[in-house]
Amino acid sequence: MAKMELAGNTYEVDEHGFFQETAKWNEEIARAYAAKENVNELTPDHWTAVNYLRNYYLENGICPMIRRLIKETGFSLKKLYDLFPNGPAQSACKWAGVPKPTGCV
Amino acid sequence: MAKRLKLTDISKNGDSQLSDIDVAALMPLPPPYDKIDDLPPIRPLTDDQRERLESNLDGIVALALPRPKNKEEEQKYIEQFISGLKKLLSKEDNWTFLQPLLLSLDYCARCQTCSEACHVYLASGKNDLYRPSYRSEIFRRLVNKYGKPGGKLKAKLEGNDIELNWSTVSRLYELAYRCNLCRRCAQACPMSVDNGLITREIRKLFSQELGWAPLELHEKGTVLQLEVGSPTGLRPAVAKDNLGFLDEEFSESTGLEVKTPWDKKGADLLLIHSAGDIISFPESPISFTIICNAAGLNWTLSSEIPGYDGVNYGVFYDDIQLAKVATRHAQIARALGVKKIVMGECGHQHKALMTVADRVLTGNLNIPRENVMTFLEEIVFSGRIKFDPSRNNFPVTLHDPCNVVRNLGIVEPQRRILRYLCPQFREMTPHGINYCCGGGGGLAVMSNVNFTDWKVYVAGRMKFKQILDAFADRPGPEVKKYVCAPCLNCKLQFRDMMEYFGAKEKSGIIVGGLAELIVNAMVDIKQPFITWGD
Repeated sequence: MAKMELAGNTYEVDEHGFFQETAKWNEEIARAYAAKENVNELTPDHWTAVNYLRNYYLENGICPMIRRLIKETGFSLKKLYDLFPNGPAQSACKWAGVPKPTGCV
Repeated sequence: MAKRLKLTDISKNGDSQLSDIDVAALMPLPPPYDKIDDLPPIRPLTDDQRERLESNLDGIVALALPRPKNKEEEQKYIEQFISGLKKLLSKEDNWTFLQPLLLSLDYCARCQTCSEACHVYLASGKNDLYRPSYRSEIFRRLVNKYGKPGGKLKAKLEGNDIELNWSTVSRLYELAYRCNLCRRCAQACPMSVDNGLITREIRKLFSQELGWAPLELHEKGTVLQLEVGSPTGLRPAVAKDNLGFLDEEFSESTGLEVKTPWDKKGADLLLIHSAGDIISFPESPISFTIICNAAGLNWTLSSEIPGYDGVNYGVFYDDIQLAKVATRHAQIARALGVKKIVMGECGHQHKALMTVADRVLTGNLNIPRENVMTFLEEIVFSGRIKFDPSRNNFPVTLHDPCNVVRNLGIVEPQRRILRYLCPQFREMTPHGINYCCGGGGGLAVMSNVNFTDWKVYVAGRMKFKQILDAFADRPGPEVKKYVCAPCLNCKLQFRDMMEYFGAKEKSGIIVGGLAELIVNAMVDIKQPFITWGD
C-alpha cells in the first residue's frame, strides 16, 4: 500500500493518492490535498461541496451522482471545476477523504 | 520502433523492463492530435512504485502486484502456476472452456494474420510484445513443456525451451491484461485459433489458482457485487433512491411522467441495466424508462442484490465468480415470475448471459434472455411512439460493442434504428467486423497506477482514429457530434479517451448510448433530451 504525508502525519493512500483511512480524515487533510493542487485557501464554497460529498459517502457507501452534487450544492459543473482543479471526482472526492470511485463509473 | 522480441526473452532479465512504449512510434493520428507534445505524457512510474510493485513488462502497471519477499515466495507461485496450468487441461477442473482451449493450443502456423487484425498491436507501432500470438505461443510452449508427459525433454530436443521462472510468471500476468479479449484475431485466424480465449484462460489460471486478479475486477468487482449489489458500491436502497431522484428531474425536463417501476411481480420482463449507468450516464436508464413506458410495456427493474446491476466481471477472469453472478441474475428473474430478461446497453452482460451462461443456466434457470438491440428495434418500429428524426439532425456515428456485434452477430437492428432516426448517421471504417474501443476485457474499469494512460494511448488509439475519420467532413468543434456507443464499458473507455485527447473542446465530440437518441427524437419530449454535456 502506498503512503502519503498529509498535515504532518503519514496515511495509507491508493496509487492515485486517494485517502484509504476514511475515519482518520480531518479538515487539515483536506487543506493539505488542496495545497498539492495549488489551492491554498479553502472557501466556504469548497467546504460546502467537500462536506456534502463526505457526508453522502458516509451515509450511502458511494459518492453521489454529479447531478445530485450540482442540485444539492447549487453549484454548476463549471463552478465545480473552478473550485476543484481536477473536477469533482478527481479533486473534491480526494480532498473529502473518500476512496476513488471504482466499478463501471 | 521497439526492439524485436524473442519468445524466450520473457524469462530473461526479470528485474528490468521487457519492452517500452515509444510514443513517437505509435500509429499516427490525424490533426489536431498529431503533435505528441500537445498531449499529456504517459506517466512514468515513481521510484517508490518501482520499489514496491512488479514493473518488469512495459513501464505500465495495471495490477500492482507486490514484489515477492524472497526466493521461496517466488518458487511457491511458480509451482502454483504449474498446478493451475494442469487444471486448465483437465475436464474435471475446466469443463467450461476445455474444448476451445485445447483446439486453440493445439497448433499455430505463426502466419501472423492475427497481428494484422489486432488494434493493440497496430496502434502500438507494431510492438512484438502486443502480438496476439506472442502471449499465446509462450503459453502454448509452457503447456507442452509442463503440462504434458515427457514435455521437458521434448522442449529441450526441439529447442522450444521457455524457462518458467519469476520473470515469466510475473510478466505473463501483467501481459494477460494488455489484451481486450475482443477476439477479432480469432475471427481473422485461418485456423480459428482463439488468442482472446487463451488470454482469458491465463487470467483464470492466475485468479483461480494463485489468487491473483485485478483489484477492480475481483475484490472491488464481483466480490463487492455479490455482497452489496454492484461493483460501484451502489446498494439497493441507494440505487432506488437515485433513480427516484432522476425520475423527478426528468419528469420536469421532458414534460412526461417519468416513473421507473421496481420489483413488480408478474411483469412480463425484467430489464437489467449496468448500475454504473445510473451514476455516470443517468440519461441511459431514464431513456429506457421513457421508452418502455411510452410503448406500454409491462416491465420492471429489480432491487435484489445484484439484480439491478447486469455487469459480470467474471467473464473477464474467473469462471466461479462468473457462474455465481449469472446464477443470481437468473434466480432473481425466476422469483419475479417474468417471462424474460432484457439486457441493457452492456456488451459483456450479453456475453455472460447469452453465451457463456448457457452452460450454467440449465433446467429451471434457463430463462429466455433478449438482447437490447432487437428489443429497441421492435419498439421503434412498432408504431407505438411518434418520432421526428429532424430532432437528431447532427452527425452520428456508431461504435459496435464487440460482445454484442462481432461476437453475437447482432449487427443490423441498431443500424435500422439509426438510419431511421438520425439523418446524418455515418458508419466507421471498418464496422461490423469492428475494432474494440480499447476498454474491452475489463480494461475499461481498470485504472490502477498508470494503466489509464496505456488504455487510452495504445488500446483506444485505433478506435479514436476511426471516430475522427468518420467525422472528417465536419472536423471542427463548432459542429456537435455524437458517438453512439450502446455499451457502458465502451462509454467509460470513450469518456477517458475524450478527456485525455480533449476531443470535446477540439472536435465537439460527445459519447452516449442508443436509447438516448431514440428519446431525443420523440415528438412528446418538450425540449431536447441530449444536452451535449452542458
